[in-house]
Amino acid sequence: MTGTNGKGTTCRMLAGMMRAAGLHPMLNHEGSNQPAGLASTLLAHATASGHLPADAGAIGVFEVDEGSLGEILPQANPVAAVFTNIFRDQMDRYLELDYLVRHLERGLLGLPADATLVLNADDPRLAYLGSELTNPRIWFGLEDLGHRRGGVDHTSDFPRCPRCAGELRYSSVFYAHLGHWECGGCGLARPAPQVRAAKADLTGPGSSRLQVVAPGTEAVLEVPLPGLYNAYNALAATAAATACQLPSNALSAVDQVTTGCLRMERVSVDGREVYLALAKNCSGFTEVLRSVLAGGQPGHLMLGLNDQARQQQPDVSWIWDVDFESLRGLVPSAVLSGNRASDLAVRLKYARWAGPGGQTDVAVEPDPVRALRLAVARAPEGRPVWVVSTDLVLRQLREWLRRRGHVGKVWER
Amino acid sequence: MANRKLIVGYLYPDIMSGYGDRGNVATIVRRCGWRGITAEVWELRLGDPVVADEVDLLMIGNGGEFHQRLIARDLADVKAPGICEAVAQGAALLAVGAGYELLGRFYQPSKGVELPGAGLFDTWTIQHGDDLATASYSITQARAGRAIGDLLVRWGDELLVGFENHSAKTYLGPTAQALGEVILGQGNNGDGGEGVRLGCAVGTYLRGPCLPRNPVLADFLIRGALLRRYRDCELKPLPDELEHAAHDTAVNRLRESAGGISPARRRIPSKRYMRQRQRVYS
Repeated sequence: MTGTNGKGTTCRMLAGMMRAAGLHPMLNHEGSNQPAGLASTLLAHATASGHLPADAGAIGVFEVDEGSLGEILPQANPVAAVFTNIFRDQMDRYLELDYLVRHLERGLLGLPADATLVLNADDPRLAYLGSELTNPRIWFGLEDLGHRRGGVDHTSDFPRCPRCAGELRYSSVFYAHLGHWECGGCGLARPAPQVRAAKADLTGPGSSRLQVVAPGTEAVLEVPLPGLYNAYNALAATAAATACQLPSNALSAVDQVTTGCLRMERVSVDGREVYLALAKNCSGFTEVLRSVLAGGQPGHLMLGLNDQARQQQPDVSWIWDVDFESLRGLVPSAVLSGNRASDLAVRLKYARWAGPGGQTDVAVEPDPVRALRLAVARAPEGRPVWVVSTDLVLRQLREWLRRRGHVGKVWER
Repeated sequence: MANRKLIVGYLYPDIMSGYGDRGNVATIVRRCGWRGITAEVWELRLGDPVVADEVDLLMIGNGGEFHQRLIARDLADVKAPGICEAVAQGAALLAVGAGYELLGRFYQPSKGVELPGAGLFDTWTIQHGDDLATASYSITQARAGRAIGDLLVRWGDELLVGFENHSAKTYLGPTAQALGEVILGQGNNGDGGEGVRLGCAVGTYLRGPCLPRNPVLADFLIRGALLRRYRDCELKPLPDELEHAAHDTAVNRLRESAGGISPARRRIPSKRYMRQRQRVYS
């Protein structure tokens, strides 16, 4: 399982389906997705003889860092390789998006010939990934046009046609560059997905209901996680389950998926409801904010921005592509935190959340714990606080919450 | 002066906006707006010419080599005459990263023939790294030959902060003047210079995007555009506490960590700082 966003969540959805089908999935911890992380997962499951236990139902479900696919794939010999989406992310690490896509394609050369490629039909960069390979393919996509956004989404990473580099035309854009697309140059178009959501109802701030059509079956899936991005994750998991030939009655197990650590994780602070949401790139941040503010209810926020320690990843330019502009006016108060909180403050000023004509009361508090307490104190009684942040701020918060007994250890789930 | 209006030409907004570059445009629009100046953004895409008399400030952002290949011919043939003429008339311009590279004489990719440049700046750019699109090495190897990290530049009396991420190197010809001097990072090619400056036209590797955290550079461009349109560059000061805080956070963080940065990446400030900042306005 690889891609920019949704790897971990999709893995857990798929694992739930596998358990419902009587299998015993083995997962790596969310984020421990480079070779060392996979190796330690395998070691943890190994017996004293150094072998994995003989178990007919055992199956590995691994999220894999996009940059590590080429190293991991030849050693993993998978049944299927799933690609969730590709967005601009960690440019200081992956350099350029086109390079990353090439890197993925080179990595795919290590894919066994009979392994199934599971691809997002709505992502033009991924839909024809590895087009020279003869592997069987399962595409997934959204077909509920009720979710189309007007025009081009500003968070789009501007993909061109994967075949001729021509300009893409969209009849529908769902978010970023995901949608129904067609190349104006060579005619390449979004493949018809075998696994598709005919209808996706966002049933509440934290859930959705999908009418899914998959080969030989139709199912209504209750997804207990927020936003269109999690609807896509559920589709990817369904497509992966199809590739693994799970029985169709296993699909509904997606309703048992719990929020991942820091993925809209609900905690209680001083008797108040607080949601922790990790967002570390432009499309992730935008989609989390859109889903938090989707109900039209004012949202009290704490936003965090940290670059990695020791200047390894000092690039936070992506906050300027986060669609704060269209969410203006929905946020009465926001506390900004992290070592780049001052960059966020400037961003919100230029998005006119704050400053002249702004409607958001913005405070800057670089210390995450103090910032959370401030955010809780500023939100009216009975209203939740949403923490949307890059990971260092959230980890510091979570460690503080853990010491106070509010949550377990990061991977204790 | 009331009712002033500036036309901002945003070059290839759909192709060359890969690095938060919209933030630079937003910064110009807002900083004009807060002063009662209307900044109207014209999106100039493939095929659209630049009419020199109409635009007051031109902006071009970032992309990869793939994007450079898409626009190079259009930039050199369709837009370059208007761009060069506008800048000669005093129009302001900001070109960042990949856009900066293409406003010089040419861009030499690692493979294949050189891409034509707009010829605005007396600069040229050579890609010393392998073509990322076809290279077969790992991401770690690809990062090795690349300038990635904070970039701190002395620009007259000011410090500009930003972030650089490029493997090509840009060289200045005899008539080109560097924008500033690198204090930390690589800049153009490691010779201590960063960016280029021609009248009110600025090319730079400073990303981040650079204008929100360097409001002094944003106002320099706005002044240039005003001067060209209205022969008057009066600009009301703005309360820039937030912008300065973000700028100073970056500078202070770099000061604190300078000892931790490897010697190859560290550049001791030279004594020959540009003492005089050449201004196109008095």
